[in-house]
Amino acid sequence: MTRKVCIVGGSTTPFDYGPTGFETIEGGAAECIREVQKDVPNFSLRDVDLMIYSHFSVHFGHQLCSEWIIHDHLGLVGVPHYRVENGGNTGGSALYAAALAVKSGQHDVVGVIGWETMDSVSQSQGSEFIALASDIRYELLVGGIYPIYYAAMANKWMKDNNVKEEDVASIGAKNRNHAMDNPKAQWYRNEHKYITVDDVMNSRLISYPIKKYDCCLMSRGVAFLLVCSEEYAKKVNPDHYCTLDGLGLSSCTIRAGDRLNFPGWTERYGEGYPEMTEFGACRASAEMAYKMAGIKNPLKEIDLGEIHDAFSTSEAQIYKALGLADTENIAQFLRDEQTHMHGEIPMNPGGGLMGYGHPVGATGIMSSIECFYQLAGMIPKKHLGKKTEVPDASCGIVNSHAGTGTSISNFIMRRH
Amino acid sequence: MSVTIIRKKKKFADKPNFSEKKMYRPSDVKETGLAFIGHEISDDGKVMNQFLHYDQLYTIRHGWNSTFFKGLLEGKIWGTRCPKCGDIWVPIRTHCWNLDCDLEITEWIEMPLTAKVHTWTIAGWSGRSSLKRLPIILVYAVIGDSKVAIANELHGINPWDVEFQMPLKVVFKPQEDRVGAVTDFHFEPAEGWTPSPMNPEKERIKKLIEPVYEWVKTMK
Repeated sequence: MTRKVCIVGGSTTPFDYGPTGFETIEGGAAECIREVQKDVPNFSLRDVDLMIYSHFSVHFGHQLCSEWIIHDHLGLVGVPHYRVENGGNTGGSALYAAALAVKSGQHDVVGVIGWETMDSVSQSQGSEFIALASDIRYELLVGGIYPIYYAAMANKWMKDNNVKEEDVASIGAKNRNHAMDNPKAQWYRNEHKYITVDDVMNSRLISYPIKKYDCCLMSRGVAFLLVCSEEYAKKVNPDHYCTLDGLGLSSCTIRAGDRLNFPGWTERYGEGYPEMTEFGACRASAEMAYKMAGIKNPLKEIDLGEIHDAFSTSEAQIYKALGLADTENIAQFLRDEQTHMHGEIPMNPGGGLMGYGHPVGATGIMSSIECFYQLAGMIPKKHLGKKTEVPDASCGIVNSHAGTGTSISNFIMRRH
Repeated sequence: MSVTIIRKKKKFADKPNFSEKKMYRPSDVKETGLAFIGHEISDDGKVMNQFLHYDQLYTIRHGWNSTFFKGLLEGKIWGTRCPKCGDIWVPIRTHCWNLDCDLEITEWIEMPLTAKVHTWTIAGWSGRSSLKRLPIILVYAVIGDSKVAIANELHGINPWDVEFQMPLKVVFKPQEDRVGAVTDFHFEPAEGWTPSPMNPEKERIKKLIEPVYEWVKTMK
């Protein structure tokens, strides 16, 4: 029997594009840890026996090995450290690495710090930098940016599943409106307004069918999550810790056009899957996480999710990959607002990438922290009120997603 | 007495010689390396921002993939095929993707200059280098019997008229304008194809694109 993996605390800096008051990455990391120390007074940095750093792009950081700057700033010389990078799934992959470190028994207390400083270049240059994670020999010059690849995938997915622009636009409005309850969220700190489905529909075209308010935000931000053994969790935070009961990580092609007939998927799921429309790596990693956590009916057994809403369309595609709906009922599932606060499984009550922000290396960590806050009963303390609290939540899902669905992780988190 | 044993070095491939080089770099692109080129201090004197400039020429060595990119210069689309299972790819794979084929080395085949739209989108925003060309119709299209779809632009059609499965032809730029990149070609509707009549979705796309045309006009 391997050991249980627990989460006892976490915090982010405010997310923003431009000054946050936490400009240096090492200063931001230190402040996140100071906040966790207030929540978990018995936690000391002296207890940490491994640090995992979650950072996507040197192009944004203009510094190789920037984790070394953070690590020694925290006073942690001698403590082992390494960086994980896996595109948009960098945060999820870092959490996966931390969980394996604890599970194996090699480490007891693992700090995970994620960050990105995307405002060091203009937004259009930033989009081009992110697109360097596409296959630059074939795709960078003709697509240019990820929203275009995602729009091409979503356009066909929506037709195949009878999903309308308005159906996905409700996700763009939902997550931004959730962020209005979260003072660290970029949407709260900047635009700061409630929006409607019509506002999403009338926002500027990015790439049909995706409009501006269907897209996530480009951000600066730092996040810290404390992952540990159950023995340590019981010692420092016996009343408010969560267990990571399921882990899943899977992969798909770098170029979306390569997954029409990929033999590895055909063997697993049959002909015509995932096509250019479904997220095969999300389905596979969710199946792994569900199996490990004993989840049979995700829609009934999971109370909430913090998932990778890079686009409102991709959040809808993720619902299907997580097994919450199928081709027959996904359109109705969206129209019934099953993932809104009043629905069966609220998704992204923290605001998600569209509301909270998407500083790539910090994003999956932020999602994990928001899920942890829900399960640990900390939402009234961390959000502005109870409006975005999922009452009596005991089980959550965290999803982290990269490329055009190229690497995806899923985690099942439960309240102790 | 010491003995020196000289072993013959193992050679994996003949070293290529490059006696011809074609450069088309704009005259204002300079490789100046890293330089701090300015700073600003906030009015309250508390915060400083510094501007770092970095400019670097990269060499993309295409190696075993070179046939594809050299083919573009010649107005040809090369694909590859697995001699064991027969799967064909554009974009190419130099080794088969089928695990039962044990990374079989593939063979080059010249592809027909015909394709079909698998899916499509109309971009109203893009990376810095493409902004002036908006709106751009991007399609993922299957060339010939390829098992995969390749992304490229579709020209010669109103953006709202694109259709799933519409037949396409591959059109190359004039030879003197080609650079050995995928932008050397684009798709156009196949001869004889005509768009379907206007419908609510086409009207919606037309309305979404109008401001993009106006915005591009204002760009310097």
